[in-house]
Amino acid sequence: MTGLVRTFAALVRDTWLEFLDSRSLWLVLVAIAAMFGVALSIRVEPRPAGRKYLDFAARALSTDLASVDLAEATIGEVAATFDGSVAWIQDAEPLPDTRVDSSPRAEAASGAEGPATRWQVTLVRAALPVIGRRVETTEIRERFGTVADGRLWRVGEITETTGRLGGTLGTQTWELVAEPGDDLAVLWPHRVTIFGGALDVTSAEGAPLGLEIFVLQKLLATGLGGTILLLVSVIVTAGFVPAMLRRGTLELLLVRPVRRWQLIVGTFGAALLFVAGLLGVLVAATWLVTGLVSGLWNPGILMAVASLLLFFALLLSVSVCAGVVTRSAPAAMLVTVAYWAVLFIVGILHAQAAGSRVRESLVGKPRPLTVADALRGRAEARRPLEPDRNPFHRSTVGRGVEAVYAVLPHTTDLDAMVDRQLMRGFAVGGRLRRLLESGEFSWQAGVALSLAHLAVFLTVACIVFSRRDP
Amino acid sequence: MTVVAADVVAVNGLGKRYGRVQALDEVSLEVRRGEIFGLLGQNGAGKTTLVKILLGMVAPTTGEATLLGCPAGTPAARRAVGYLPEDHRLPEYHTAPTLLDVYGGLQGLPRAARRQRANDLIDTLGLGRARGVRVRGYSKGMKQRLGLAQALLHRPDVLFLDEPTDGVDPVGRKQIRDLLLGERARGVTIFINSHLLGEVEQLCDRVALLRQGRVVRAGRVAELAAWKGTWLVEFASPPVAAATWSTGRLDPPDRDGRQRFHPRDTEVIAADDAIDAFVAEARDRGLSLRHLERERGTLEDVYLEFAATPATASETTP
Repeated sequence: MTGLVRTFAALVRDTWLEFLDSRSLWLVLVAIAAMFGVALSIRVEPRPAGRKYLDFAARALSTDLASVDLAEATIGEVAATFDGSVAWIQDAEPLPDTRVDSSPRAEAASGAEGPATRWQVTLVRAALPVIGRRVETTEIRERFGTVADGRLWRVGEITETTGRLGGTLGTQTWELVAEPGDDLAVLWPHRVTIFGGALDVTSAEGAPLGLEIFVLQKLLATGLGGTILLLVSVIVTAGFVPAMLRRGTLELLLVRPVRRWQLIVGTFGAALLFVAGLLGVLVAATWLVTGLVSGLWNPGILMAVASLLLFFALLLSVSVCAGVVTRSAPAAMLVTVAYWAVLFIVGILHAQAAGSRVRESLVGKPRPLTVADALRGRAEARRPLEPDRNPFHRSTVGRGVEAVYAVLPHTTDLDAMVDRQLMRGFAVGGRLRRLLESGEFSWQAGVALSLAHLAVFLTVACIVFSRRDP
Repeated sequence: MTVVAADVVAVNGLGKRYGRVQALDEVSLEVRRGEIFGLLGQNGAGKTTLVKILLGMVAPTTGEATLLGCPAGTPAARRAVGYLPEDHRLPEYHTAPTLLDVYGGLQGLPRAARRQRANDLIDTLGLGRARGVRVRGYSKGMKQRLGLAQALLHRPDVLFLDEPTDGVDPVGRKQIRDLLLGERARGVTIFINSHLLGEVEQLCDRVALLRQGRVVRAGRVAELAAWKGTWLVEFASPPVAAATWSTGRLDPPDRDGRQRFHPRDTEVIAADDAIDAFVAEARDRGLSLRHLERERGTLEDVYLEFAATPATASETTP
């Protein structure tokens, strides 16, 4: 075991020095650092939306919102638990002192109506004398702003101010201070700018902060940033095995008391370890930068390290195998990129087929207006879906794609796993969210098939290498 | 073949075929502990193939070979072997310390020991001033020295060196020769493959000549490069033109002014008597001798003669 550890440690030192010698890698790291520099210049400014969110919060007094998912629940589902009584806000005024916390977000919102603003609220609950029931102050404190397992608002000071006449008629009034809950910021609409406000990059009018940060994290980690880093890592590592197999270099390795498969697996592991470090830094920096600019610290993005690393391990195994067989860095690179392209194209088509199946399941059903849509100001539900005459998943191409996808590593499922966690954490809804929650994607299948492919490629590489004369 | 305990390398009937090409054919030889053994032959004779089989990089088609008593090519055998291949290519992103650290780790040396040994070798082989320079900035001679360092790093019992002084200046070559002789004194067995026949002659105890995959001649250097019966002479006055004297024939002088003298009737007259007669004749002619020596055969003579001779039927018949 000591010998194996020493062998691996030596290969790690060798591989890491080879990585660090690569100018391409350094250029990419500089480019990614510049990207993060731009990300740090992001400023988020809350839009005025306090009254709308208070109205919704008050609805929780008459409607059970405990089981509502803000992204997925519909107004209809919310209204279904309406108990016949009405609660509304008679008056609400932002309080001048907005320093609920000392986060950068709160400081930025200081003095403006934003997710850190406290409100003085006059609450009136009118009840029909026949079926009305008295609402206790403790109930107000528990239910005001409670949605699903989170809180949009918390009740600070509260005083019932019901008069004698109102009490007789069944009307109750309260004066309360509404303080921002932990989940308010993620839904609050923000304007997003970069370069100190010079450029507005808000994705949509009234887009919740959670959606903006979801998009930003995708861009930095699993999107552009992660793709560039993986692509350059593939290009750099494509030359490792062919360089090792060069005449004059290989002999210096084969003379060591090390088995050939150890050289292959050790080089693979060393390269993987290095890229794991890079990905860890990339994803951690993404989490840190987006947390600093937004105040939202959803750790879901950290899962991206595992999915990206598994994907790179798969590509690296292809590259190692191709490098052993061809002994050519350009050939190894081309084969790997081609494999990546196949996975990408098949993955997109599979997602289309999955979407087609989900769509088929929704045909004829009323299309709901989600609570998140309502909070964003959308007023009307869309028309029910019409049946598709030639659904993609039933076409020849669709069936063919699904057959191919069944045997390929389900890398799309790995991405879906990360996206789903992010969407849940940032309360992002919509068609993509419904697709990801539909059960069409299985991260377990993604992991298992990726590992199986990886094992096959590495095994082939070791076998070919063991039989080849230098 | 009986493997003698003192045999570090024992090869018996070794053969290697690549398709239709017979790279090695029925090769048998042994190398004793503490010997410096030279392997000679023209390009493509099979020298490198033989070494690679001994090191386990290539599998033989027929025959067997042992290295330090173990089947050739096993990790156990390779543990005590150092190798410097011809045209070696050291990874250029390394410096001398980092390269030796990696190879030492692969060899199984503990960290402290390999770093100390690496520092010693870097200084011994004259690379101390380039310690922080990457290999891509090295001259050919520096790369050769570093290549030698990686072969010596783990104090091997057997060294396989292919052109060990290739690209090294004359002073460096002397240093390397002295280093190798020091290793032999330590009991290390050295297997050298070199086209610098003068160097082989200086270093090696025994040599073997390969042609078309077969060992065609082997033995001690002194036995192979015996005296050929001629003399080298140099006269004090301007060189004498080629001539036939009563005591023998004088060849034309070379550019250094030396001439070869072929004594006549060497089957009848003893060698010493023949040269005495020559000296007397030179004096009679009024010539003064400045230099006189037996002309010994060199390994180069043997090699060139062997290279010029067509392969015999027994050599070419598979």
